[in-house]
Amino acid sequence: MTNQITANIHETKEMTINMGPQHPSTHGVLRLEVVLNGEVVTRVHPHIGYLHRCFEKYAEAMDDYSKVIPYTDRIDYVSAMNQEHGYVIAVEKLLQLEVPERVEYVRVILAELQRIASHLLGIGTFGLDLGAFTPFLYCFIEREKILTIFEKISGARLLYNYICVGGLMRDVPDSFKPETADFVKTFRPKIKELNDLLSYNQIFIDRTANIGVLPAEVALNYAASGPMLRGSGVSWDLRKNDPYSIYDRFEFDIPVGTGEVGTVGDCWDRYMVRVREMEQSLVIIEQALEQMPDEGNVMEAVPKRIRMKEGEIYVRTETPRGELGYYIISDKSSSPFRVKVRAPSFVNLSILPAISRGALLSDLVAIVGSIDIVLGEVDR
Amino acid sequence: MQKQLKEGYQTFKSIFIGMAITLRHLFQPSVTIQYPDVRVELPPGVRSKLYVNIDDCIGCLLCARACPVNCIDIETVKATSDVDLGKTSTGNPKRLWVTQFDIDMSKCMYCDLCVYPCPTNCIYMVPEYEYSEFDRKNLIFEFSNLSPEKVTEVKDKLEKENEEKNRQKELAQQKKDQEKKDQETDTDTDAGKAGE
Repeated sequence: MTNQITANIHETKEMTINMGPQHPSTHGVLRLEVVLNGEVVTRVHPHIGYLHRCFEKYAEAMDDYSKVIPYTDRIDYVSAMNQEHGYVIAVEKLLQLEVPERVEYVRVILAELQRIASHLLGIGTFGLDLGAFTPFLYCFIEREKILTIFEKISGARLLYNYICVGGLMRDVPDSFKPETADFVKTFRPKIKELNDLLSYNQIFIDRTANIGVLPAEVALNYAASGPMLRGSGVSWDLRKNDPYSIYDRFEFDIPVGTGEVGTVGDCWDRYMVRVREMEQSLVIIEQALEQMPDEGNVMEAVPKRIRMKEGEIYVRTETPRGELGYYIISDKSSSPFRVKVRAPSFVNLSILPAISRGALLSDLVAIVGSIDIVLGEVDR
Repeated sequence: MQKQLKEGYQTFKSIFIGMAITLRHLFQPSVTIQYPDVRVELPPGVRSKLYVNIDDCIGCLLCARACPVNCIDIETVKATSDVDLGKTSTGNPKRLWVTQFDIDMSKCMYCDLCVYPCPTNCIYMVPEYEYSEFDRKNLIFEFSNLSPEKVTEVKDKLEKENEEKNRQKELAQQKKDQEKKDQETDTDTDAGKAGE
């Protein structure tokens, strides 16, 4: 109703404008060709490919499966640990390799920490797009703590190359467990603070509630995944519905969009799913830290040379952005014959034209922000 | 009307809640670091610059082969038999002159994959991160400690030795051939004699 009224006021004459590729709120190099009727969006056409780096072809050209791992980091540079995890699981399944318990626990803890770090960035920049600068800084303070933990164990802050086929590149330091436990303890109150500061801020709610509503049907038809799908009220999380690694040992909930302040599947729901997912990640980390064995060689199962048989596999894992799938075809040579990546951001971005029709131009920024795309992953 | 008033009240309320939080943060210790004056201490094992201890390098090329971006360029020359290059600190015998060991840090992706295969642990990352340059060519680090004269000398020596070896080989071959021929002629004459 309100949308219609505003639409009538703002409608004038159709014109086409460009948003991006150098627009700060397109989260990278995304070019949106927007057809406007006054200030109302009638059509959006995303142009992608500005960050295409031929990952799949590179993977074929490498002469070793482990040489691809640093490249998988660069698919989604915001959640590199999750990308590595997916690829390594795929290669291990092809090799039928058993991984030591300790390695599995460390991997899960790292993947969940990375999920929190990625969501903090997603939430922070989403707020920033809508003019909330302070939460962005507070999110980055917390994110920095996670990156420091990662730096201590892997030696790098963003692109780790830490998880390797059969194990980990090096053992975690002794300080890893207490530091992670400490982070979990200090981070809980910060989520509450974030809720007070941003989530339930009336201005923020006004900007995001009832905007970019994605009905569950549409989300399923477009094969959306991750918080995008869960925001629409569909309870689908690969960690629970198709458990990989050791996720079946942990108890956690799948947060879904409820339409608390507006309609189910609006921008606020997608945002809130991310906030609640961070809490669930903390729950998983706590359980994993408790169950994790203290002793064990992390390099135990690492093969000296990867000898691959002919075969193919599709492995899907839940990254902060949704279902990340690696489809690998192997032949007898030492390099993969074909690596196909099903990138969640790419699929999620394809919904943008469907849900931004009829929105105001300033709301388009909110919608793009709520999808939480990483252009490195869209283009690969 | 009532709804608008309520929303207005909510807006003011959330502004004050937000302000209270930022005020609380104002009195917390600062998290930023005044970079050039204060530096963060990097944790052990941090990956920021490759370093090669060339005295320990045996020129096995394992690091160059492990590199996904081919940023390591190594050229080796076999040591001639009159030179003893000694052993590395880990006890591996050195048999090759490492005439060139260039690492292009502008290509390097800091993946650490070259560090693990090294049999003498002579290539590793050092915590040095302030090495930006105006010219990209300056980012190619040369680790070989041989002077160009020495390199040509070593190469010439090897060539000479190889030539010498080849000549000896040829001589030996010729000798063999000669012997064979002699034998053949011997047997021929023998056969001739037998025929007579």
